[in-house]
Amino acid sequence: MAESRRRRRSLFDLISDYLEDLETLSEELFEAEMAERPSWDIKSCCIEPLCNVSVTPDEVVVIADLPNTDPDTIKVEQVNQDTLEIKAEMKRKIRFSEFGVTHRQGEFQHFRCLNHIPVPVDAKKMKTKFKRGILEVRLPRKRGVRIRVE
Amino acid sequence: MDEPKRSSAIGWSFNPRNDSDLNMYLSKLHHNSFLFVLQILDIGERCCLSEPVRVVEKKSVPSNALMLHGLPDVGLVGLLATSHIIGQLKMDEIAYVDSELLPPIVVLHEGLPYAPLRIFGSTNALAALSEAAIPAKAVQPIMRKLVEWGQAKKVKLVVSMGGIPVQDRQDIEAVKVYGAASNPSLLKTLSDKGIEILHGGFMVGPYALIMRYCAERNLPAIALLAQSFYNYPDPEAAAATIKEFSKITGLNIDVSKLVEGGEEIRLKARDMMKRTTQELNRMKKTQEYDLPLYV
Repeated sequence: MAESRRRRRSLFDLISDYLEDLETLSEELFEAEMAERPSWDIKSCCIEPLCNVSVTPDEVVVIADLPNTDPDTIKVEQVNQDTLEIKAEMKRKIRFSEFGVTHRQGEFQHFRCLNHIPVPVDAKKMKTKFKRGILEVRLPRKRGVRIRVE
Repeated sequence: MDEPKRSSAIGWSFNPRNDSDLNMYLSKLHHNSFLFVLQILDIGERCCLSEPVRVVEKKSVPSNALMLHGLPDVGLVGLLATSHIIGQLKMDEIAYVDSELLPPIVVLHEGLPYAPLRIFGSTNALAALSEAAIPAKAVQPIMRKLVEWGQAKKVKLVVSMGGIPVQDRQDIEAVKVYGAASNPSLLKTLSDKGIEILHGGFMVGPYALIMRYCAERNLPAIALLAQSFYNYPDPEAAAATIKEFSKITGLNIDVSKLVEGGEEIRLKARDMMKRTTQELNRMKKTQEYDLPLYV
């Protein structure tokens, strides 16, 4: 028993273990960041649109792909200091069967996504534009303290 | 002598009491290192023998054909364009790609399972199409295999259609298509057809590798790259590349379905686009924005 516990492991085993540990750790970190879940919610009839947040020196730009959207229904709201919610209604309901999926039931009518805003912004000065099914939201960044250069 | 103890996944704790302990430990370490090298060689040999990527043919493959590549990339431009062409030319599945490097996925069509990366064919054209994002680590061996297979089937021209991500794509009304080629005479052909040549910069991803491997093997290849979104499906850009493809090859492809059904396609392609973007980020696709260093 004691001998088996003290059985010498090859350098290969140890390196392999080390690499496995490292890989698991990186996957866990990645998954924690990008939790895998469906991009739809059948209870709320919602589809999560493709979104992207980018930060420039002057503003934060949030872009959402909203195909098949009625432009008059788009709502953009700052739900808290660092979260922006985008909601929109589709021009017509989309059923699962239209995606070629017949083993699930339900239909989608809304788009909804929450976007993390990584820096402080002035939401009152927010500008939006909707063109070719793409929504662009521009939020000016809040200015910090200006330091005089001597 | 105390066994060297593994204190964590990364480090070792071993405190030799004297020189003899240290020498014994080092000799064992050398022995283990030798075994490690042997095992690596063994793995290498097994990898070579088992072939990491293979193309399984289901029907006879036409020779002297055009070969298109519809692989997931920015805006899914190539995928949407090639998928549309396959439908328009009523091409049938003639082969598929099998590899342990691909995720364990089958695509169901009418209840039947299919490989996600398949090759379609008609009398004068072949088209490789992937219905799932290709993992970044698998791109190199798979592209190499597709090019090797194309050469073995005496393909006369390899055509890759894809996108070049541009800022404020939504403000561009008429999408511009750029061209790249594997040799100077093909570049001239593109130029003569009115296609602007990509003179400098970087190409990253599956199409970059296809161009490189084709150039290495003297296999004629062109890339038609339309201005596109980076991470949103772009059927308009796909339609623009098909128009240029028609000009070059003389194959008349109607793109009205692709343009009119654009919004629905964008809705259906969301999940595929999301997974493709994740893989593109792993490939450092954004290096295409980098300014090249020409001294």
